Amino acid sequence: MSLQSCYIELEGDYADVIGRLRTERLVQKFVFKFLDDPSFDLLCRSLEAKDYDEAFRASHTIKGVCQNLSFTKLFQSSNQLTEALRNGWSPEAEELAVQVTADYNQTVKAIKTLQAENGVV
Amino acid sequence: MGVNFKDKTTRFLTFSLILVSILCVLVFSFLAFFMGSRSQNTLNEVGTIYMSGMSEQISIHFETTINLRLSQVQALITTVPPDKTVTDSTRYHLAYNAQARGFDSLGFYLEDGTFDMIYGQSLELIDPDPFFDSVANGQEKIAVALNDSGEKVIVLACPSSYIFNNGTQSMALIAVLPVDYISQTLSLDESDNTLVYSHIIRLDGSFVIRTGDAYRDSYFDRIQGLFEDYGENAQVAQEHIASLQTAMASRQVYSSVFVFGDQRRHVYCTPLAYSEWYLVTVMPYNSLNSSVNQLSHEWGIMTFLSCSIVLLALLLIFARYLSLTRQQIDLLETARQEAVRSQKEALVAKEEAILAKEDAIHANKAKSEFLSNMSHDIRTPMNAIVGMTAIAITNLDNPQQVQNCLKKISLSSKHLLGLINDVLDMSKIESGKMSLNMDLVSLREVIDGIVSIIQPQIKMKKQQFDVFIHDISAENVCCDSVRLNQILLNILSNAVKFTPEGGSIHLSLFEEPSPKGTDFIRIHLSVKDTGIGMSEEFKNKIFDSFSREDNTRVHKTEGTGLGMTITKYIVDAMGGTIKVQSEQGEGTEFRIVLDFEKAEILEEDMVLPQWNMLVVDDDEQLCSSAVASLKSIGVKADWTLDGETAVQMVESHHKKHDDYQIILLDWKLPGMDGIQTAREIRQKINHAAPILLISAYDWSEIEEEARNAGINGFIAKPLFKSTLFYGLKPYTGLSSDQPVHVSETHTDLKGRHILLAEDNDLNWEIANELLSELNLNLEWAENGKICVDKFSQSPIGFYDAIIMDLRMPVMTGYEAAVAIRNLERPDADIPIIAMTADAFAEDIQHCLDCGMNAHAAKPIDIREITRLLEKFCK
Repeated sequence: MSLQSCYIELEGDYADVIGRLRTERLVQKFVFKFLDDPSFDLLCRSLEAKDYDEAFRASHTIKGVCQNLSFTKLFQSSNQLTEALRNGWSPEAEELAVQVTADYNQTVKAIKTLQAENGVV
Repeated sequence: MGVNFKDKTTRFLTFSLILVSILCVLVFSFLAFFMGSRSQNTLNEVGTIYMSGMSEQISIHFETTINLRLSQVQALITTVPPDKTVTDSTRYHLAYNAQARGFDSLGFYLEDGTFDMIYGQSLELIDPDPFFDSVANGQEKIAVALNDSGEKVIVLACPSSYIFNNGTQSMALIAVLPVDYISQTLSLDESDNTLVYSHIIRLDGSFVIRTGDAYRDSYFDRIQGLFEDYGENAQVAQEHIASLQTAMASRQVYSSVFVFGDQRRHVYCTPLAYSEWYLVTVMPYNSLNSSVNQLSHEWGIMTFLSCSIVLLALLLIFARYLSLTRQQIDLLETARQEAVRSQKEALVAKEEAILAKEDAIHANKAKSEFLSNMSHDIRTPMNAIVGMTAIAITNLDNPQQVQNCLKKISLSSKHLLGLINDVLDMSKIESGKMSLNMDLVSLREVIDGIVSIIQPQIKMKKQQFDVFIHDISAENVCCDSVRLNQILLNILSNAVKFTPEGGSIHLSLFEEPSPKGTDFIRIHLSVKDTGIGMSEEFKNKIFDSFSREDNTRVHKTEGTGLGMTITKYIVDAMGGTIKVQSEQGEGTEFRIVLDFEKAEILEEDMVLPQWNMLVVDDDEQLCSSAVASLKSIGVKADWTLDGETAVQMVESHHKKHDDYQIILLDWKLPGMDGIQTAREIRQKINHAAPILLISAYDWSEIEEEARNAGINGFIAKPLFKSTLFYGLKPYTGLSSDQPVHVSETHTDLKGRHILLAEDNDLNWEIANELLSELNLNLEWAENGKICVDKFSQSPIGFYDAIIMDLRMPVMTGYEAAVAIRNLERPDADIPIIAMTADAFAEDIQHCLDCGMNAHAAKPIDIREITRLLEKFCK
């Protein structure tokens, strides 16, 4: 599985990310690093604890990372969640959080597949 | 009105003046008259009092004198008493004593009424009867008698009974005094000191003593005579005489004023004692009169003078009052005019208020219309989305159907999004929150972008689209590209919307010096179509909110009716102007004028080899503009207007071994089109000179045909200098697709110390990786607090810039920026560049408000960061 097909899998914009980061090596390095990013865990924890300020910040961070990595799909849902949480809790937030989780899992799954195929564990 | 009032006042005042003057004259005349008569009366009274006093004095004096004389006679009787028969010696003694006392004569009054004179002349009584009666009654009496020489004398009688030898007795002893004695003693005559003179008359009016100018024997005759002399009515004299006689008969005091001619005489009559006589005292008023007249005269003059003074004063007061009144009236008049003007102004204000009210009602109506339109407009795509979604769900097994539905949903969504964007923009505009996000913009890119966006729509409606760019010297300017795009898109999409199929749309752009200075250029944008145009009324309110041309003519058109309002607002916000010219059925032209600040561009970079070029376009202006642009980047070019000529020119140059190195061909040419021309050239000349097609249209459809005809490439209209430069650069041999690239030439950033605040590991690593290319000394601060600490603990001037994420735990980027700006360090003004996933205008404004210098949106764009760092690091 190539990096490009991984991007197709997670519904990102490969052309955009390679345009900015320029080498496949770099892109792959950061994509793998995404798995270690604590923001999603933080988001889940904060939502459970009903700490919506913190949840907002976490979702904002996910959005930022996605922008940097051109993870378009996860960016869109996290962006919506960010806006929903910007002024504290709102009714759409929960539904959007579900969407973010789904997109996140889709993204992680695609990256893990790539990792496995490239022999990196 | 004022003049009328003025007249009225003047008339009233004049009338009053005349009335008061008359009154004044009357009062003074009355005063003069009254005082005159009063003084006359007073004079009369004074005369009466004076004369009664005088007469009293005279009569008392008379009485005393007569008394004295009578007592002397009595003394004679006492000295020679009648106890014996009268003898010679008796007579002698009597005579002796009488002479000693100064009597003229002495004698006895006998019982028979005759006189027996002792000495002196014999007497004859003028009126003997009353005398006899009185003496017979034993009373002392005086009377007038005539003596032998016919003179009047006064006879004094004291009753005494002297017995004579013949046995007769005397009734009284009489003594005689001259009349003069009385008149002298009583000073009856008029003297120098007094004007008064007196007569003594008897009851029948005959004079006892006559003084002054009286010459008649009777006083009554005198009165009669005086009145007649002065031609007065004799009747009056008779009345005077009658009343005097009546008074005398009853022995009463009589006082009266006789007037004859210019003479006035006061007559006062009193009875005298011991006699039947009356004292008549006369005071002529003549001399008094003159004094009184003098007084009256003076009084009259004084009255007249007083009257004149009062009148004069009145006149002065009147004149003054009149002038004051006139002034007041004038003031009133001015005030009235003022009031009239105010009233007019009030009316105007009222009209304005009514207009404003109408405006408000209109605006309100427009708003409700807008809301109902909006609810319809929003519902339409929304219904499509909901309906199509339902259809798609029921047809999940039919991919063709689902795809169809999704396509429609997508279209409706886009439309809905457009509506919502417009409404949001409008609400921002109405709440004054829309701000311009100034940035460096290439006009070429803007126009390129807009052309590529609008082209599909134009193609769909088979319209002709022309873009003309006249010499633009500064294509890089500072402006809000998003808003500029919005303006052009609004106007162009309107043009497309309202121009029927096959119509033409014309976008042109030219430049002129800006009145704002040499750092600015003025750009004229014009969009002209051959559409349906607008009515005159609509043209006037096209920029009002919520306006749409009447729905019958434009029923198919959709939109919020806000597009032009937003456009106008943006143009206003950019300090520009927008004007519209339109003719129903003819078309519409929008002209926009904007002043932009020139951005610095590296002109020297844009240089091409000294080629010989040919430009072929049917628009002469475009040709000359392109040639001028080419010249400025070092290329010599010829131009021509059609394909046939172009082929000839290429041939002739080939023969001269002076081939064109590059040929630019317009696609749409009259007669032979661009592709055909290229084919001809390639056939005739076996030369590898690149031929490029210039077109405002999307060439994807003709690309294959063009390549087959020997065309090497395409350049999109409009032909900016940079368009030409970047379009032609690949043919220089040293070609590069990406002319702008991060290059090592920017050595000035090397080794700079940059502090990067970013809470996320991954983002930090990406940033670090990207920025490492610039050979920066990058330091990481995990949140705002650490960033502030690191900065404040660093030596002054150590860091060159801070790149700051905004959403961080512990301390946000905003707070950190404020904290750093508040540090008391000389380098507290260090450049701070915000870096965030939020790119709303408000966020950017918030960054600037917190003291940050610039804002870069995520994802991290190394070119943007480089540009900003170069800009702010000195």
